Amino acid sequence: MSDFDSELDASGLNCPLPILRAKKAISALEGGQLLKIIATDPGSVKDFEAFCKQTGNELVSSGEEDGKFVFAIRKAA
Amino acid sequence: MSNRLSGPERRETILSAAQGLFASKGLHGVSVDEIARAVNVSPAILYRHFASKQSLYDAVLEKFSCQRQSYVDTIVNHGTRFEDALAGMTQVYISSIADDPDILKIELHSLLEGNPATLAFFQNRWKSFTDYIEFGLNEHLPYDIPNREKTILTAGLMFQGMVREVLIQKCLQPQDRLIDLSLYELSTELVTLFLRSIGINKTQLSRKATISG
Repeated sequence: MSDFDSELDASGLNCPLPILRAKKAISALEGGQLLKIIATDPGSVKDFEAFCKQTGNELVSSGEEDGKFVFAIRKAA
Repeated sequence: MSNRLSGPERRETILSAAQGLFASKGLHGVSVDEIARAVNVSPAILYRHFASKQSLYDAVLEKFSCQRQSYVDTIVNHGTRFEDALAGMTQVYISSIADDPDILKIELHSLLEGNPATLAFFQNRWKSFTDYIEFGLNEHLPYDIPNREKTILTAGLMFQGMVREVLIQKCLQPQDRLIDLSLYELSTELVTLFLRSIGINKTQLSRKATISG
């Protein structure tokens, strides 16, 4: 799980900025690569679920660490 | 009639009546007794569903905090260009208020009532715009424009004020002189005017401005 290919810190940002930035970050990845996202907006949990459902990318994990929300998204092949 | 309602149905009925009353009178202008009377139940029954007037008020606000999915749709479907995403977000927000202007009325009441938690709730809704505008402009405004930092700081506030006023004019106080312009047309014009007013040519922005990751 620690082998991320890229990391995005969206702390302090409200929807839709974390989604926008994640979309850009994912577009720079190869299929199968893993992006770590850190966010503080509680709504980001539902946002990233919806985002992955719509884009076909895989939400590998979604959890909380030290009061922040941490997501791992694998880019669709 | 109310006796035939199931628990969830009764809860929804109370919530709906409370929403209308909070919209017309604000949190402090409405009593639990008044809400109970509006749905023809005793206050005791109301308290079975909501522990207090504040929790009922919070539940009404919670109903309106579900626009996120729509913003995700906007970002996924409209691309990441600054002006496209801003126009899409504005459309989502304006449509949601037009569908149910009660939330705008509740917001205006809350500004006068000054409850910090409620003000934070509404400020957080606008923060989606102010964050987005500040971030986007910080990334893409030329560095040599006069008062760049001040422009970035105040642009979000300006946009918030413009959108809120359009909503007031169209949803709460319909004006004859604006009758031929739909909310959609007004919001589209608003975004264009906003971009121009902060010194950005929309065509020029279209070519260069995307939010970077």
